[in-house]
Amino acid sequence: MLSECFIASTLTSSKAPASASLRDVGICVHEFQPSPNLRSTFKKSSTAVNCLAVSPSHVFAAQSEKAIVHVYSREKGNQEAVIPFPERIRSIAIAGSKNGDVLVLGTEGGRLILWETCSGRQVATTASHLSPVTSLAVDPSENFILSGSSDASIHVWSLVDLLSFTKLPSGRDRQPPNSPLRTFSNHRAAITSLALGHSPGRYNIAVSTAQDNTAIAWDYHTGRVLRTFLLPSSAISVTLDPVDRAFYVGYEDGSIQSVDLYKHQSIQHTLHDPSLQSIPSQPSAEDKWSPPSADCGAAHSLSLSYDGMTLLSGHQNGKVLSWNVGRRKYATTVADYTHPVTNVSMLSLNGLPQPALDVKRTAHTIVKPRYDGGLSESTHAAGAVPADYTFSTHLLTSSPATTRNLDGSARTNQFTEAFTSAVFPDSMIEEGLAELALMNQTGGATAPIAPMAMQTTNDEDLAARDSHIASLESEISTLKKKSTVNDAARQLTTDEVTKLRADIVHLHDYINELHQKQEQAQKDKVLRQARKEARETQKREAWFSAEKKGKKGDVVMRKMEAEDSMQTSDSEDQSSDE
Amino acid sequence: MASMSMSLHAVNHRLTNIPVKQLPPIASCLATSLSNCGEILSAPQNQKSKSESDTAIQVHKLMTRLASLIQDKSPEGRWTAVVLIKAVVEAGQWEILRGCEPLVRGLIAVLSKSDPNVTKKMSVITLTRIFHLTYQYPTLVREITTPSLPGFITAALNLISVKPSSEPIRKLKPNTPFLEIVLSALGELIARHPTIFRPFSAQIHSVLQAVIGSASPTFPQSVLDSAEQLFISLHHCAPKNTSGEEWKTACQMTLASIHGTADYVFRAVVEQWESADPALRNASKPQNYTKEVCDEGFDALGLGPWQGLDSGVNRLVVLLQMLSACLTTATASTVIIPLGAVLDLTSRLTSVIVPTAGREVQPNPQISRTEREHLFAELPRIHAATMELLTSLVQTLETGAVPIAQTILEQTLWVYRAEKSSRGVRVSAYDLVHTLLSHMGPSLTKQSVSTLADLIRSCCHDLLPPVHEPATNTPDAKGKGKTNQATANADSFLNPALKQSRQATAPSHPGLKTTASALLAAILTHVPSEHLSPSLRAEIDRTTILSTNKDTMLASVLNPIPPVQGRSTSASIMPFLARSFPADQSVESLIRPRMPVISHTQNVGTYIDDEEEEEDEEDEIAEENPQEQTQSFLQSTTPLLNMDTQKPKSKPTPKRTLEPKPHSTEKAPEQSKRPRVDDATVTPVPAQPALDRSSPSTFTGTAAVSVPASAGVTAAPPPRVTSANDPATGTVGGPLSGSAVAQVPGSDDESDDELPTLNMDPDTDDEDEDETMEG
Repeated sequence: MLSECFIASTLTSSKAPASASLRDVGICVHEFQPSPNLRSTFKKSSTAVNCLAVSPSHVFAAQSEKAIVHVYSREKGNQEAVIPFPERIRSIAIAGSKNGDVLVLGTEGGRLILWETCSGRQVATTASHLSPVTSLAVDPSENFILSGSSDASIHVWSLVDLLSFTKLPSGRDRQPPNSPLRTFSNHRAAITSLALGHSPGRYNIAVSTAQDNTAIAWDYHTGRVLRTFLLPSSAISVTLDPVDRAFYVGYEDGSIQSVDLYKHQSIQHTLHDPSLQSIPSQPSAEDKWSPPSADCGAAHSLSLSYDGMTLLSGHQNGKVLSWNVGRRKYATTVADYTHPVTNVSMLSLNGLPQPALDVKRTAHTIVKPRYDGGLSESTHAAGAVPADYTFSTHLLTSSPATTRNLDGSARTNQFTEAFTSAVFPDSMIEEGLAELALMNQTGGATAPIAPMAMQTTNDEDLAARDSHIASLESEISTLKKKSTVNDAARQLTTDEVTKLRADIVHLHDYINELHQKQEQAQKDKVLRQARKEARETQKREAWFSAEKKGKKGDVVMRKMEAEDSMQTSDSEDQSSDE
Repeated sequence: MASMSMSLHAVNHRLTNIPVKQLPPIASCLATSLSNCGEILSAPQNQKSKSESDTAIQVHKLMTRLASLIQDKSPEGRWTAVVLIKAVVEAGQWEILRGCEPLVRGLIAVLSKSDPNVTKKMSVITLTRIFHLTYQYPTLVREITTPSLPGFITAALNLISVKPSSEPIRKLKPNTPFLEIVLSALGELIARHPTIFRPFSAQIHSVLQAVIGSASPTFPQSVLDSAEQLFISLHHCAPKNTSGEEWKTACQMTLASIHGTADYVFRAVVEQWESADPALRNASKPQNYTKEVCDEGFDALGLGPWQGLDSGVNRLVVLLQMLSACLTTATASTVIIPLGAVLDLTSRLTSVIVPTAGREVQPNPQISRTEREHLFAELPRIHAATMELLTSLVQTLETGAVPIAQTILEQTLWVYRAEKSSRGVRVSAYDLVHTLLSHMGPSLTKQSVSTLADLIRSCCHDLLPPVHEPATNTPDAKGKGKTNQATANADSFLNPALKQSRQATAPSHPGLKTTASALLAAILTHVPSEHLSPSLRAEIDRTTILSTNKDTMLASVLNPIPPVQGRSTSASIMPFLARSFPADQSVESLIRPRMPVISHTQNVGTYIDDEEEEEDEEDEIAEENPQEQTQSFLQSTTPLLNMDTQKPKSKPTPKRTLEPKPHSTEKAPEQSKRPRVDDATVTPVPAQPALDRSSPSTFTGTAAVSVPASAGVTAAPPPRVTSANDPATGTVGGPLSGSAVAQVPGSDDESDDELPTLNMDPDTDDEDEDETMEG
């Protein structure tokens, strides 16, 4: 839930607080919206105006009339340290407001002290102010510090140059190191308060008020006056609208005045319109909002709510009043702390998601200033960062170390991609489906084998044996191949053998047949021989008988021979068949 | 609600009725519908009404089905279960988480089964997410996380390594696909459950040592990133209150390792660096110069030996990334970052550079020239990693880095000057300078800006599209190091149109372009524009126009060139911005502002010149302006928190601004509460204000377009401009568009004839001024 709190600090006075809960209390954190009530308190503090600074982790309160700063931990809600300084502190401000890394202190003697709360390093500037530094402001780009003093001048310092180990060789030549960049000296009396615009850019403005009854809006990048405002009396506090459309000043009598910067009808920004810059302007008296009662006392401090529509003011009589900016009048009394409220400061909203403003680190405890090396910079070699320079902090978020490849293209991480998304990213699902499909494809009949194959590839504890297994497998396969080849060969030979045997059988049969035929032929031959002999004898008998009968035996012989030749041709035919 | 319950029904029906084998293809659809049912899944289940109890039954059915699916025999079933469990857990939060103990057991079991890789990967992610989600509920941590986390850690470690003995040391499996997932998962959990991880920290440490220290095979960068982060996160496991010490030790060991490795890698040269830390000054070990460069022992981090310069440089780069991981990984408590030691290290690494003219490196006579040249070839990689380390340092410390920002900038520029030819060095340097500028830019002095000039020029060069100069073109400015080749490319004489169409094939480096344009925008935004020399600024503007990057163009317009003595206002590239992005909100708000305009006129003396135009402008606007006062302006903003302080009123709409406005001063202020500036939008010539503020002819000099002598006369607008109603508008379009014309052949316009080809060589006086500044 959104909530908005403010922090207020008081200057201890002789009055005793009405409620017991406020006894001894010097700093209060008060919820302003939605329900105004006291959230937490820090005790034993008495701060003058501009002597309270708040970082996300700590509250720093410079004690009035003393040379010490109380440090309170906002996390633990207690007083963490009491830091002594060589001089009285008249104003403090935080630089690096996101983390509160550097505390800027303005001293009684007119110098600034910069304390790096995470390293304990301390840098002091030249005493460029002739009087105490009463107001301090750090610009939104965290590069410039503005310090206002009772000597009527405002110095602009470069935070970077002051803190940097390596001092630029020249640049601000003829100047001692750690001296201001430029000085704004248009005020003619002590500076009472300072406020800076909200732009980190080149056209940001500063508004300062002084005891000479003026408020001046000026450009701190150049020191040029943008506009002078003649006020009815001397303003003691100032704050700027979140859009820099107006500023509000508080007076000694407790009244508030709003000064609108866009009053003139001009396409030009009023402050940046050169034709108006030389003419002082006088805000109309009707813009002055009177306090509810005369005994409010001076409006020491002003602060605007997040939306810029409610103004809070801390008063001498211990009250914190809220003013309605839209209606231009007093709205309610938010709190009463009995003691004079010297500082009121709105804290940033809780519960608004602003990733850009999220703190990446936090300092649970501050590192106290080290006096040994801190003030005497010359102990180190010029420009070198001392080897024992350390920075203590608690890193809160892990950002991926380097999200770029060497050529600068973005790298992606499969894990982070899938981790917080509601469902797995498509790429992963597709990969999984492909893997399952592959498994089924190679599987099919050999489904149980596929997971096993998977396992051998997956289970890397077998990896050492993996190559061995692979070699064994290949061996097996070659052996199998060989055996199949052998089998085939053997099969072939047995086939051959059986075929040969069959052939042999065939041949035997054939031989037998031939034998039989031979026998047959023999028999036939014998028969023919016998027949021939028989015919021969017949012929001879016939010739003899014919001779006996007196007939010519030759004729009979010829007749019989003709019969014979017929018979022999038959028989010869027969024999040739065989 | 009803539709959700219906879709839950449908999911259940499909889950139970479709055969498990066919579930995977529809799993993703089921997961999507489940994640849309978040409201009923996360609803408390003890309500009485009938419909509520029905959905409760459905939810129960779903959970039972998932529990059985995760133990299914088929890998398809388990795969589907993992996908759905993730969706259900994300959608259901506490209500689902409290009943997911069986699911967690099933998921852990999957890790040791023979499932496909992706199933295991997804189970690891799902389990991590479940543990992550339960973290905010102590009861669930007690019931689910604490009992099952050790089992998960063991199973996850088993995926990537083997534990050979009873010793707390694990051996990394080669070629495991799970490394990245498992390391990221452990890194995610270790910070939240340090006590559960404590018994495993030695095992994890040994695995990580193997990953980080492996010389071959090298792991993918994403694996190394996760490993480095996890390595640093191990300090969470340190016993009570010593985590800060542990972190510091890890950091110092890394530093010592880098120094040790650098001793070997840089042996080919004699280093000029002297440590700021006296302990380090004389610490280097004697080396054997006869052998190839190698480290045979274990270094401070316990990383194994390496051999060869390539492995040495790899090791160095990995260690530098490790150090940046130190600075970017969340810590358990307050840690002490040794800034001094880190900068000491970077100053050592950046002190050895590739020798260039005038900046010689003293060679070590005992080492061969081959090795030295090898080292110089590898140096850009080391330096890119160094600059990435510095970038993460600055990004982490933000304003805390201000004291060391100047030192870092000097180291960067030193390296950059020597090694700008390497793309990696350029990308890292752009990135680093960009980061630095956002913290220290506004307080840069003119002198330090001039040291950046070289970087800015090459940044512009990287952004420009490849130039194909026709042979007739005059050679470029001498300062840019482009020489006209003696041997001309024969193709360049051939059909130029053909070349145009083939241009797109040039290799592109998106990362380089992105970082370069981001740097350009940062320079325009953060560096005081008065410190940029006019010629440099003109080059930036020209690059900005030609690369058509909205952010840089906007930055250029918002940070105009400061007025030069004797000229009222300066050129602006606003017309180009308006042409390129007419519909963009930021351009709209710039050109037709709803707030009064901040002009950049500064010199009161020259104000008079401008006044006429200004008055014209004002008249036009004023005619339609309601004479509204401050009050209306303040009240017109919609308050964020206290709406009640204002009377309700509608926000001003464009429609209303079209109505003619009476000058109703007598009207009560409340009635006409609307921002007066709205009306500026209906001016007949809307772009008028923008054009008006760009000035006549001033940028002939500042934009560094070399204009013939006639145009060199400052106050006179170029004679042949469009028939604009006032000279200013024409001039703005004229020379600057001419500058684009010269670059982009073919886009002629009428002002072409009087404009020469674009020559970035500025006017002679500008050039002289520039050179004296740089020198």
